[in-house]
Amino acid sequence: MGPKKEASGEAIASSMLRMANLKVPVISIVIGEGSSGGALAIGLGNKVLMLENAIYSILSPEGYASILWKDSSRAKEAAEKMKLTAKDLYEMKIIDKIIKEPEGDKNESFLEVAKSLKKEIKAFVKEFKNMSEEEIVENRYQKFRNMGEFEILNKQEDEKC
Amino acid sequence: MIVDKIKKREPTAKQIDNKVDIQVSKWVKCDICKEIIYKETVRSNYGICPNCGSYFRMHINKRIESIIDEGTYKRFDLDIETTNPLGLEDYPKKLKGLRERTGIYEAVGCGTGKINGEEVVICVMDSGFLMGSMGIVVGEKITYSIEKAIELKLPIIIFTTSGGARMQEGIVSLMQMAKTTSAISKLNKAGLLYISVLTDPTYGGVTASFASLADIILAEPKAMIGFAGKRVIEQTIGENLPEEFQTSEFLLEHGFIDKIVERKDLKNTISELIKLNK
Repeated sequence: MGPKKEASGEAIASSMLRMANLKVPVISIVIGEGSSGGALAIGLGNKVLMLENAIYSILSPEGYASILWKDSSRAKEAAEKMKLTAKDLYEMKIIDKIIKEPEGDKNESFLEVAKSLKKEIKAFVKEFKNMSEEEIVENRYQKFRNMGEFEILNKQEDEKC
Repeated sequence: MIVDKIKKREPTAKQIDNKVDIQVSKWVKCDICKEIIYKETVRSNYGICPNCGSYFRMHINKRIESIIDEGTYKRFDLDIETTNPLGLEDYPKKLKGLRERTGIYEAVGCGTGKINGEEVVICVMDSGFLMGSMGIVVGEKITYSIEKAIELKLPIIIFTTSGGARMQEGIVSLMQMAKTTSAISKLNKAGLLYISVLTDPTYGGVTASFASLADIILAEPKAMIGFAGKRVIEQTIGENLPEEFQTSEFLLEHGFIDKIVERKDLKNTISELIKLNK
């Protein structure tokens, strides 16, 4: 029974619910292409970090273009509009920190990234070390509770909805 | 002068519109059996086709009327607007047009009311508004309602219908799944009853968050419910799926929902469940 075939929706929901309840500090790091519910299902961290060149989005640009414009060939245009880069997401307060990646794609680059990650994880553990279980859960709750800014409107006329 | 001319012409255009509207709006075509039916007949029959028994999608107001005791519904004082996080040019215009056309403000309506005398918090989604998609406003309203249920110590009932997360608001829509789910986790801790009623269609980020996390999950007959659409899955896994795949009957058989309830029985079933869980 493949997850896509039967119940990925329920699986994502349950995974998020479980994460929301975890009594230990959680750090999620986007290291490549993170998209849709699959990424979010393991993304409910007290802190969410992202590699400089990783992407994190509601859907693949192809899927996005296909839903919004009924044309998956407009993926490039979609990718530009979607704000899926680490820089965009940091500005939108979706992620907490960007992990720098060295220029060029060399073997040594990975070591350098790993070093930075180690440093960040250490700092993360230290930051949450003295928090109680309730404080850790509440910290995570407030983080996601405040996602999505809105404006207050004048009173609606329609009383029913 | 020109303004005067326009003003004079306006009512004429409206009159024509109204005439057309009256002729068209008295009749409705069933998507399933293609029968043309007198609208009033459908209305008085719980929005069900008298010819083939299939369900029409329901407007928020109609749903509230059919579930909540008359005169007891009180909408939450929560009038908010998206900040258009992706800065899409045509999106605010689209929302404005939809509001005028549908007579509702966003894809979900929330408040308190009584079901056969039982006080509840109720949220009703409407697929007529951008396919019931969940963006900032829907996410906030659902979360606010869950928090209100905790504050007022009331059961919460959510009627879902949605295409999923709202594409126009990008990743911020995706985050509404995390937000609503976190609120459900608080609700669980408070030990309050949550019943979701899945109606046609319930998909994507709504299925993958609060819709699937209720204590009791009800569904209307023959509702289509899933995460990704059937065609997308078939293309991804390269297999054909069974005909009844993603119907509420299929999901009941596989243990994902608890009971299929006919529309006319929903009100009594929900109030019975509340009484049982007191």
